[in-house]
Amino acid sequence: MDLTEHLFELDVYRGRGGYDAARKALGMSPDAVLAEVREADLRGRGGAGFPAGVKWGFISRDGTEPVYLCINADEGEPGTFKDRWLITHDPHLVLEGIIITAYAVGAHEGFIYVRGEYEAAALRLQRAIEEARASGLLGERILGTEFDLEVVVHRGAGAYICGEETALLESLEGKRGDPRLKPPFPASAGLFRCPTVINNVETVSNIPRILRDGARAFREFGRPGDGGTRLFSVSGAVVKPGLYEVPVGFSLKDLIFHLAGGLPPGRTLKAVIPGGLSAPVLLAEETDLPLDCDFLSRAGSIIGSGGVIVIDDGTSMLDVLGIITRFYAHESCGQCTPCRIGMSWLHKTVLRLVSGNGSRGDIDEIARVASAIKGRTLCPLGDSAALAVLALISKFRKEFESRLEECQIRSQSS
Amino acid sequence: MKIRIDDRLLEAAEGSTVLEVALAAGIDVPHFCFHPAFEPEGSCRMCLVEVEGAPKLELACSTRVKDGMSVLTSSPRVLEARKEVLEFLLAEHPLDCPICDKAGECRLQDYYERYGRFDARFREAKEKREKIVPIGRKLLLDRERCILCTRCVRFLREVTGTGELGVFERGARTEIGFFEDWRIDNAYSGNLAEICPVGAITDTDFSFKTRTWFLERGASLCPHCGRGCNIDIEFRRTTNRAVAERRIIRVRARENAAVNGYWICDIGRYSHPYWTENRSRFVLMNKEAKTVRLSWDKALIILSEKIKGLGLRGKGGRLGLIISSFLTNEELYLIGRIFKEAVGLGNVWLADPKPQEADRLLLTAERSPNLRGARELGFESRPPDFEEIEKRIQVLLVFGSGLREASASGEVRNALDRVPAKFLFAAHTGPGDDAFDFLLPVSLIAEKSGSITNTEGAIQEFQPVWLPMGEAKPEWEVLIALARELGFGEAWTDLTDVREAMAREYPFFKKSHE
Repeated sequence: MDLTEHLFELDVYRGRGGYDAARKALGMSPDAVLAEVREADLRGRGGAGFPAGVKWGFISRDGTEPVYLCINADEGEPGTFKDRWLITHDPHLVLEGIIITAYAVGAHEGFIYVRGEYEAAALRLQRAIEEARASGLLGERILGTEFDLEVVVHRGAGAYICGEETALLESLEGKRGDPRLKPPFPASAGLFRCPTVINNVETVSNIPRILRDGARAFREFGRPGDGGTRLFSVSGAVVKPGLYEVPVGFSLKDLIFHLAGGLPPGRTLKAVIPGGLSAPVLLAEETDLPLDCDFLSRAGSIIGSGGVIVIDDGTSMLDVLGIITRFYAHESCGQCTPCRIGMSWLHKTVLRLVSGNGSRGDIDEIARVASAIKGRTLCPLGDSAALAVLALISKFRKEFESRLEECQIRSQSS
Repeated sequence: MKIRIDDRLLEAAEGSTVLEVALAAGIDVPHFCFHPAFEPEGSCRMCLVEVEGAPKLELACSTRVKDGMSVLTSSPRVLEARKEVLEFLLAEHPLDCPICDKAGECRLQDYYERYGRFDARFREAKEKREKIVPIGRKLLLDRERCILCTRCVRFLREVTGTGELGVFERGARTEIGFFEDWRIDNAYSGNLAEICPVGAITDTDFSFKTRTWFLERGASLCPHCGRGCNIDIEFRRTTNRAVAERRIIRVRARENAAVNGYWICDIGRYSHPYWTENRSRFVLMNKEAKTVRLSWDKALIILSEKIKGLGLRGKGGRLGLIISSFLTNEELYLIGRIFKEAVGLGNVWLADPKPQEADRLLLTAERSPNLRGARELGFESRPPDFEEIEKRIQVLLVFGSGLREASASGEVRNALDRVPAKFLFAAHTGPGDDAFDFLLPVSLIAEKSGSITNTEGAIQEFQPVWLPMGEAKPEWEVLIALARELGFGEAWTDLTDVREAMAREYPFFKKSHE
C-alpha cells in the first residue's frame, strides 16, 4: 500500500477511513476508550516504553484543574526519524490519535511540541490542523459531539533535552528547557502545574488503529505486554537505510539483514545501537533477539526510540565513543552537576585519547567517571549516556586499547 | 510521625523533607543548591542519601518524609556519591582559594575537608571563563568559581521579584548571566554574596578586607528601620591592642523566621560605618569656645543640680527633653518614670528621622528601630517646638543625633542658643555639637543590653556585641544614675529591675519575659 501519496491531505486520509476511529471513540465513554487502550498493551514509543493505558489512568478527570495533552514530537534521539515521517506524511493519523487520547483523558487543549529543525513537518502539521478545524474535526463540538479540543503546534529551539518530558513542559511554558525534579509527576502536576499526559507521536498514532480494529487485533501483532507494530529507523551500514514498520517482537537480525538489505558488500556487522544513541550497544552476536521492550532490557540495552544504528567492521569504536560523548557533552542541559561536568570530562578525555595522548589508565578513568554519573543525575539524560559509555567500554575495551597504541604511534611519528 | 536517620529515631513533621529533619537534628547532610527559603532545586546532587527500599540514592532536599522511613546519610554508597559529586564540582573549579574572599566560609572547602580528601584525577584542561563580571552595584561574579546552584537566580525571582539573573548556555558552557545590560539594582542585592555557597558572587564592600577566619562576630539588631532585622556584626580587632578597638568589616543577615527570614536590606548591610565612624568617646564640656573633658560623675552632678535648681515641683515647665525612638524600651520606660511625673509629657518631644517609603519586603516607613515600643510606652512622634523651647525651657536634655544638622545653624540653632543649659546624649559626634554645653557619649545597640519593639509588635532583646567606646555608657545606666541623683522614680539597680517594673506597668511588655 502506498502510504505517502497525498495522505497528508484530509480528503485522501478520510477516503481511507480516516477519522472513523475518532467518530467511534467519541461515541463511547472515555472510560471505555481508556479500557480498550489499556487492554491493547500499547507501550510508549518515545523511549521509556511505559504502557500508555496505565499512563492515561493516572489522570484524575474529576479535578477542578484542566487536563492537558502534550505530544512529544521533539525526536532528538540521534538515529531516530519516525516521528518526522508520521507528521510529514500522515499528520491526520497523528491528529486522530490526539483527538481520541484527549477525549479519553478529558483534555480540551493539546500541544504538539515539534523539534525545531522539523520546519517542513511543522508546516504540514499546521496545515492539517487547519484542515481538520475547518471540517469540524477540531475546535468546538467535534464531529457533532459535545467534545471540544484545540490543538496548538509549538516549535522547539534545537535542544535535545527538551525531548525529556518535564523539560518539554518547561519549554512549552516559555521557560528554559531544564528537566524538573520528580515527583511531582506530570500526571498530577504537569503543564502549568495541571494534570498532563505526555505521549510520543508514534504512540498516539497507534490509537486510531486500536479503536478501529480493537485491542485484541492490535495485540496480535505484538508480544505479551507489548502490543502492535513499531517503526524502526534503520541507519548506518545497511544497503537500504530507512523507516520500517514491523510487529513488536520482530527479529533485530531480520530487520537488519532482510528488510534493510544487510550490510554493504564486503562489510560485516560489528555492533548495533538498537534504540537511538543512548541505547547501550549490542555486539553482532547479540543481535539475534526479538525487538520488544523486555527482550532488549534483558540483553542489557533498551528499545528506546527504535533508532537502529548499524555499525560495520570498518568503524572504530573509539570514534563511536567520541560521537556519543560529544553529543551528550553538547546536549547536557547543565543543570545537575554529574551530567554537566561528567559528560564534558568524558568528552575531553576521549578527545585526548584520539589525539594520541592517552594511556590505558584513561580507559578505566572513563569508566569510573561514567559510573560516577550513573544513577545520580536529575533526569535520564546523564544516566543513559553513562550507560551507553559503559557498554562501549565493557564490550570494546580490547579495541580501545589497541587503537590507543595506534594513536600514540601516529602522534609520535607525525 | 517518626523516621529513622542513621541510628537515630526522629520526630518528623508531615510534609517536611529528609534534609530538614536531618539538619534540625544536627545531622550534617551537605548541600549547595538547597536553601530553606526556596523550594528544593535538586541540581547540585550533593545531598544524595540512601532511602531504604529505593533502588537509587535519593535527594535529601526533595524527598518528603514518610512514617517509618529509614535513611542512611553516611553509608559507603552515600559517601562515595558525595565524594564523586564533589570531585565533579572541583574538577572545573579554579582552586584560587588564596585570593578568594569566600575562603574559610566556603562550602566547597568545608565539604572537601569533611567528605572529599581525594587526589585530583581530572587531567583535562579546565574551562576558561570570565572571572570579573560586574553584575550589580557592589557585586562581582566569577564564572570559574560558580557551581550553578542557581540560588542567586532564585533569590532574584522569588524574593525581590526583579529577576535580573538567569541561566544561559548549556552543558559545561552553562553560566549565570543577565539580559543585555540589566544589572542587579535592588535594595536587597547584598544578600546574593551571602547566599552564594562558594566564592562566585563577591561583595566589593568586603573584597580583600580580611580573611574570614580573622573575623569575630556578635548577634545584634539592625537599627535603621522599624523591622528590627536580626544581624550579625562581624569585626576585627585592630592590630594596635592598646587602642583595643575594632573595625567593622561586614554586617550579615541572621536568620529569624518571624522577623526578617534570611535577609536584610542593603541599607542595613552597608551602613556599617554607623557602628564605628564619628563616634563620641569622651564626656565633654563646651565652655567659652573651649572644649574640656570631665568625668561622668561630675557631669551628672552638674546635670542633676541644674534640674534641681529649677525647683521642679509644680514648675516642671522649665525642663525639656528631646528623645528619639533609637532608645530601647527600657530606656524609654525610665525616661517616662523619671520625667513624666516631674515635668509632664508636654515638655517631652519625640524626634525621629523623617519617615520614608516602605518597600514590600522588610524596610518600613519609619527609619528608627523602636517607634512601636515608644508608642506602647505612651510616647507619640512629636517634633520639637523650638518656639516653645526658646520661650520656656531652661534645661534641655537631648537624646540621640536627631537634631544633628538642624542644630548647627539657623532657627534651631538660634533657639538652642537661648536655652541656658543643654545636654546632648549622643553616640556620634557631628555638626551642631558646639550648640550644647555638655556632650555625653552613649552606646549604640551593639554596645548595650536592652530590647526594641518592631513595627509588628515583636519585642526583641539584645546583648552587647562589644563594650562601649571610650567613656560611653548605655543610656539606661545614665538614666538610673540620674534618677538616683535626683531622687526620682525608684531605686532601680539594673535592667532586670527595670524590665520587671515595665512589665508590671505595661502588660504589653509582659510577653517578652514569659
